[in-house]
Amino acid sequence: MRRQARRAGCSGLWAARALVALQAVCVLAPLAIIVVWAFTASWPWPHLLPESLTARGIEELFGPSQKLGEVLGSSVAIALACAFFTTTVATMAGRALSRYRFCGREVFRFAVLLPFLIPATVFAMGVQVAFIRAGLAGTVVGVVLAHSIVALPYAALIMTDAMEAAGNRLEEQARLCGAGPVRTWSGIIIPTLLPSLLSAASMSYILSFSQYFLTLLVGSGKVKTLALVMFPYLSSGDRTIASAYGVVFLAATLVVFFLFELLLHKRMAREIDYFNG
Amino acid sequence: MVVHSLKARRMGRAAAPYLLLAPAAVLVGVFLFGVANGVAQGFGIMPFLGMYEPTLGYWVQVLTRPDLAASVQFSLYIAFVSSAIALVGGVLLSAALCAVRQTRMLSLVNVQIPLMCAHILVVLFMVSLFAGSGLVTRLLFHLGLVSSPSGFPSIVGDPSGWGILATYVWKEVPFVAFCTVTLMSHVSDRYGEAAATMGASPVRVFFTVTLPLCRGALVKAFLVVFAFAFGAYEVPFLLGPTLPKALPVLAYLEFQNPDILNRCVAMALNGIMAVVTSAAAAAYFAVLRKEGRRK
Amino acid sequence: MKQNNGQPQPGQTTGLMSRRRFVGLAGTAAATLMFGGAFVGCAGSGNGGSPASDASGDDAAAIANSVDFSDWNAVLEAAKGQTVSWYGWGGDEARNTWINTVLADALKQKYDITLDLVGMDINDILTQLSGEMQAGVEEGSIDFIWINGENFYSCKENGYLWGPFTSYLPNFNDYIDGNSPEVLYDFGSPTEGFECPYGKAQMQMWYNSDVVTTPPTTVEEFAAFCQQHPGQVTYPEPGDFTGTAFISCLIAGVVGKGEFEKLSAMEEPTEEAVLAVVEPGLEYLKSLKPYLWKEGTTFPADSSTLSTMYADGELILNMGYGAPQDLVNNGQLPETTRSFIFDSGTVGNSNFMAIAANAPHKAAALVAINEVVSPEMQLSIYENLGNISVLDMAKLPQEQRAQFENVPLGAAQIPLDELLDHRIAEASGPVIPILEKLWLERVAQA
Repeated sequence: MRRQARRAGCSGLWAARALVALQAVCVLAPLAIIVVWAFTASWPWPHLLPESLTARGIEELFGPSQKLGEVLGSSVAIALACAFFTTTVATMAGRALSRYRFCGREVFRFAVLLPFLIPATVFAMGVQVAFIRAGLAGTVVGVVLAHSIVALPYAALIMTDAMEAAGNRLEEQARLCGAGPVRTWSGIIIPTLLPSLLSAASMSYILSFSQYFLTLLVGSGKVKTLALVMFPYLSSGDRTIASAYGVVFLAATLVVFFLFELLLHKRMAREIDYFNG
Repeated sequence: MVVHSLKARRMGRAAAPYLLLAPAAVLVGVFLFGVANGVAQGFGIMPFLGMYEPTLGYWVQVLTRPDLAASVQFSLYIAFVSSAIALVGGVLLSAALCAVRQTRMLSLVNVQIPLMCAHILVVLFMVSLFAGSGLVTRLLFHLGLVSSPSGFPSIVGDPSGWGILATYVWKEVPFVAFCTVTLMSHVSDRYGEAAATMGASPVRVFFTVTLPLCRGALVKAFLVVFAFAFGAYEVPFLLGPTLPKALPVLAYLEFQNPDILNRCVAMALNGIMAVVTSAAAAAYFAVLRKEGRRK
Repeated sequence: MKQNNGQPQPGQTTGLMSRRRFVGLAGTAAATLMFGGAFVGCAGSGNGGSPASDASGDDAAAIANSVDFSDWNAVLEAAKGQTVSWYGWGGDEARNTWINTVLADALKQKYDITLDLVGMDINDILTQLSGEMQAGVEEGSIDFIWINGENFYSCKENGYLWGPFTSYLPNFNDYIDGNSPEVLYDFGSPTEGFECPYGKAQMQMWYNSDVVTTPPTTVEEFAAFCQQHPGQVTYPEPGDFTGTAFISCLIAGVVGKGEFEKLSAMEEPTEEAVLAVVEPGLEYLKSLKPYLWKEGTTFPADSSTLSTMYADGELILNMGYGAPQDLVNNGQLPETTRSFIFDSGTVGNSNFMAIAANAPHKAAALVAINEVVSPEMQLSIYENLGNISVLDMAKLPQEQRAQFENVPLGAAQIPLDELLDHRIAEASGPVIPILEKLWLERVAQA
């Protein structure tokens, strides 16, 4: 009986591996095409390989007038700021929604998720007007806040779920042992929530990094991000340039995520040492 | 003194959730101001053009459009099918990632990369692959299965909308997995092994333990995907057929019209979308409440 | 006391907790409220027509008024050191590079003006501009705009544009024929000095001479051509700029140039009036459908999708406002690419630059626009981008005219005089949505 279960588990494991591999192919194959297109001039029917290559995409990226470094730097900075801010706000909101019973709790739970349901074109212009009046239009701070509006529902959903799932047993035990609030947060709450915090932050980062319409309106075209430069090419049909920007866009995100990972690993390693010691 | 500090403490506790929510409330407030602005435009209120008189005219105009019914139907079809496939695919992917003890590298490739690709970038490579002259068609041509570009049902403008579905599935399967994988690995760690030691097969554990425990997260993910697929214009604009057009595409075209007054029409169309997605949200809300009561 | 008994935790810890937490929370909340207050306060004052914003508006107006725009030296002086923002479509790499290098360098060196090109779709520009108008911003973020006719009409009607300004520009006065219909009217609406021409464009069809030996030069030949190559010809769905222009060419070929140009004079057209002109053309378009790509059941939504399909060889014909010489030069299209126009002509228009009503740097915008229509820059545009110049060649000195004539013509390009001899005026702005609607009802749906 048990052997049978194990055998089923084994074949299940193989199926799972196959599925994961299939998904990896589905993701990576189109990406490979984008990379190839970034160097391709023409690739007509029925050739399976590009007919002629070009350095046009690279020249465009690193041309002196493009200021790629500057644009990339501001995009990453804005996205990081948005990820940090949104995750903080969402964690606070998640704490309130998961731990307290208060008047208007259900209403708020719903309100936080509203941006999911309403297309950006509906609220973008009103948000722009609000930001202009607050003197935040055309500023980096304004853009970060506007991105946070879009990212908040995702982050809030993740954090509320995580905090509800985690419960408060560990936390209360820590408190019973006399741990202060700082120790409770840094030693218990944050480590337990770390995977979710990271999910919320990475989702916010992605949403901010790829935000076009709101950046345009709230940034008044003055705050230049990579998405802002890339989108016109994506819709212009110039595949060489669009792909070149696409590669940079993905590479930049991946590099940032790898750094996240490294940081996390270091921290986790220290955490383990701490417990062992 | 003691009584006083006790009272202050209790007041602090009562105020705490509101203080914790304050920053989120400001963001939501700005958002709601934006929505109010858009809704007002649907009723013909555009202060910057000196229009203050509310009218139902644009809503009437939109609701009596002959192409509305077909558009709503097409959008519902796209939204339902893509979110259903995304749900099933996402659950499978999530389960598979849990089963192979997902390393973070795998989840980066399988989940995070699709999340970071903008939809319009996905359209770009979908067209490279599946257009009449796309790479897949070329492969079929070299295998002797297709004789010319017109022999393949090109992804562009196909009335079945399979291009839109394919794009959404590529994007949203990983999204659903993203929403569930943390919870699922948690659940299978905690209960899965216990059930397995009692002799239950992994498949049974999955259906009787893991899936029910992840139900809430799955319903939420489904609704998010549904609302998105129903309301976003980029993909159906680029890959959809000339007729019928998806509802968000109708709104987008009106929005694009050089005559700014057409934005009122666009906002009324967006209003219809908001009504439909709100109905979905009401269902979502019901799920939440039920969950809350169970706890 | 009772309360304390009910609490499982040691009372002291709880007290400490909540007090500390309270301080922290209060801090964040205060910051949030300040930020929120900024929104609420400003929203309130904006609605009430705040004295503060009016005052700053007056200041801006005072500064603007202090420059005598009719004194060009004063304009140059005021523009010195300013950063001027130019908003326009950003999807053309060659054009962006030209603006960011040739034009920007010239402005910097000659006038100490920094040019900031912002690539944005015209409807996004409109959204931004109307947002600023709604918020009552007197000094906006947009200085001047690359604009096309339909949007010009709507912007000018709504008071989004500043002008008339063209009479301030020395190069406009010296080299542009202010009385030519292409300068006086933009898509049928009078420009009245609110727009300065930027370039001229004319619809041309592209093909690969290896694949197509004789291109169809009449509408009858075009119909036969579609029948010979079923499924390999189509056009972008009208609604797309290029698609509308292409069906205009075909309709003009069917009903005749004189009849079609009636549409360009219609200022307040009715559906019936437009239909009376275009009906035979729509019938013709309907008759083409069975031979088009996917049997005409569906059309690509925009011209860039069509271009992709043409470049990959799924289609054998493409069309655009100009010849694809730059695409041939950078290897996207083969050397054997050629262009053609119909004997009955193709539609053409000018594209323009306009200044936003709330432009913060009007002087610098004037200088930049004046530079774009200088003979040197127009020549450079013609050389690098293949755009037809807006200058009146008769007004140019002999030497400069020769420079224009000596620009070598690429193999894909059509000689200038041949183009201009076959030029049809585009339908007026208000006609275009009607034409698109008629196409949808009578061609796509039929």
